[in-house]
Amino acid sequence: METKAACSQDCSEIVKFAVLDDLLALGRANSLWPLTFGLACCAIEMMAAGASRFDLSRFGAEVFRPSPRQADVMIVAGTINKKMAPAVKTLYDQMLEPKWVIAMGNCAISGGPFVYPGQYAVVEGVDKLFPVDVYIPGCPPRPEALIEGILALEEKLTGKRRWPRVKPE
Amino acid sequence: MSLTLQQLQAHLGGLVFAPPEPAAAAAGPPTSPERSSPPESEAVPSSAATAPEPDGVRLVDYASRGVHLEVRTPASQVVAAAELLDREGFALDAVTGVDWIAQGEMEVIYDYFHPTAPWRVAVRSRIPRDHPQVPTISAVFPGANWHERETHDFFGIRFLGHPDLTPLLLPEDADFHPLKKDFAV
Amino acid sequence: MTTEEIMAVAQGKAPNETFVLNLGPQHPATHGVLRVKLTMDGEYITRAEPVPGYIHRMQEKMGENRTWAQYLPNTSRIDYLSAMAYTHGYVGAVERAAGIQVPPRAEYVRVITSELNRISSHLVWFGAFLLDLGGFTPLLYAFDDREKILDLLEGITGSRLTYSYYRFGGLYNDVDEDFLGGTREFVAQMRPRLGMYRTLVTENIILRKRLEGIGVITPEQCRKYGATGPVIRGSGIAYDVRKVEPYSVYADFEFDIPVFPEGDSMARYLVRMEEMGQSLRIIEQALAKLPDGPVMAEKVPRVLKPPAGDYCYAVEAARGRFAVLVVSDNKEMAYRIKLRTPSFSNLSLFEEVSQGMMLPDALALMGSLDLVIPDIDR
Repeated sequence: METKAACSQDCSEIVKFAVLDDLLALGRANSLWPLTFGLACCAIEMMAAGASRFDLSRFGAEVFRPSPRQADVMIVAGTINKKMAPAVKTLYDQMLEPKWVIAMGNCAISGGPFVYPGQYAVVEGVDKLFPVDVYIPGCPPRPEALIEGILALEEKLTGKRRWPRVKPE
Repeated sequence: MSLTLQQLQAHLGGLVFAPPEPAAAAAGPPTSPERSSPPESEAVPSSAATAPEPDGVRLVDYASRGVHLEVRTPASQVVAAAELLDREGFALDAVTGVDWIAQGEMEVIYDYFHPTAPWRVAVRSRIPRDHPQVPTISAVFPGANWHERETHDFFGIRFLGHPDLTPLLLPEDADFHPLKKDFAV
Repeated sequence: MTTEEIMAVAQGKAPNETFVLNLGPQHPATHGVLRVKLTMDGEYITRAEPVPGYIHRMQEKMGENRTWAQYLPNTSRIDYLSAMAYTHGYVGAVERAAGIQVPPRAEYVRVITSELNRISSHLVWFGAFLLDLGGFTPLLYAFDDREKILDLLEGITGSRLTYSYYRFGGLYNDVDEDFLGGTREFVAQMRPRLGMYRTLVTENIILRKRLEGIGVITPEQCRKYGATGPVIRGSGIAYDVRKVEPYSVYADFEFDIPVFPEGDSMARYLVRMEEMGQSLRIIEQALAKLPDGPVMAEKVPRVLKPPAGDYCYAVEAARGRFAVLVVSDNKEMAYRIKLRTPSFSNLSLFEEVSQGMMLPDALALMGSLDLVIPDIDR
């Protein structure tokens, strides 16, 4: 399935640089700078993915930026609360284009294990607040799953998958 | 640690308790001895089992309940109990509430532990559900400041004299108390 | 500003102004979503008011909406770094309520897994604390050691972080030779690693200057706020639930409680580093004494309905005293579950202790308290 590279708005709609766009997409995909947005348990698996064994820096994504102005991708790792939701939306708005969102873990996808009839505090999924590009299920997802999610995002950006898919035996 | 459990029980007995209700059938005298462990797997009707015991200080079987002494007091005595336990060197474990909607009451539970002796004391007080208020102990134990804010968040219990009873865990503009049994979104 | 005001500032006669700085809820040093409203006088804090609640996940209300067994996964997620101990607290409270006896082999395995979990929690604290202070490398070393523990625990529980391994009456899965042999190997190779951390990090002059004398918490403050765990042990009081209110089979083991009297951040740091060594001791003894037998009690009803009443159970989690108060009314769901969490009490003294501190020192203090924010908000 062909996926076009993510373009920025305005004049690029009229003028398209084919090879340059591909080059830009490759550059963006191979050096995604995540925002340090660990909220709860999934944050620990995100830290483990950035640490020595799983090593996100192989994929160019080890530079976790605390400031949203410097980050490309917001990895929402953990539960979004109704009290926290305005802050999350503000952070998303503060990120500069092009930006992407990875919803890591069941809480970010749909509220996770904290949804029960009559619940009063949890926002059921970060896509209720803003659009999400990649969903990584798990509670918490393994660091390998986070890496797979980042590779899926790279595939969305460039149209090609950089790492071969591992077939289950 | 020179204080024994019996001495502690005697000191706590100096608090002012409400006289036992004449109609309380299963009640014993205020300082009754060891409580027996809970019954085996028979179904106990909830209203009888959760009926409040009369006020007083009771020794409790630690292995089956997790507390050594249980003190039931009227709401006016919780500060005196806190001061007494503070003098004996206890630390505040938690302050929390339970909503006994069937009996129209709320219960405020103060848990205390001792840093060097293994004693655990629970002070409990029942207050009317439609107008729940109890004096604050945050002057005696500053740690109670947050515990009382949380109990107010969850149950709506007002702690009289608390410096700042604003929501702690709920959003700043929250006007609901979610742990009440009749809470609906 | 008027000309007079500008002249007053230039001549050094203006009154001191304070400003309000917001720390969090998204901040790399708050270890989760904690917001602290700082009123600052230049670089010094005049008032630091923590505002929790940004990860409040209704854990206590969910206790009333889930059956006793359905609540087990929630317990792991209260403090996910020390998940075994939290499940232990909840399972212990329900076992106390229902009068269930746990077989000895299950108790020993619970101790082994809880202590392995304690070491992995302290390793995460170690890495994150040093990261706050500006050192990135210890995080990588600590996470490498932690991965070995996670491999062991994954082999028997199936999960890396939030285990839900204990059941009412024991465990759901027995341990195998892989786990026992692997744990012995881990203990053997972890001791020299602790020595390496001591020479590389603990004796580092920069760390000592950052931590010694910073954030002194007196024993009286610990008592008044109910602070437990390494916070109270770093202030000179030997309070550890495993010794004071022994639960499970901890009374069978010989281990010390590291206590340091200074009360500063360095003391709390040293308590945790020494505790890792003591946990290794407990694991060795438990492996040597592990009895045979079943790991699950007999005749535990499928739908548990403990007798009415209230029951309390306390454990020593990695962060301090974790107690569960369970109020049952003989139904299949609890009437009330109260979770007394250590980080809540430990953070409540931050406002008083951080007055007049410089901001980087206050962050060192907050890191030394070892907070996990979902533990505060539940």
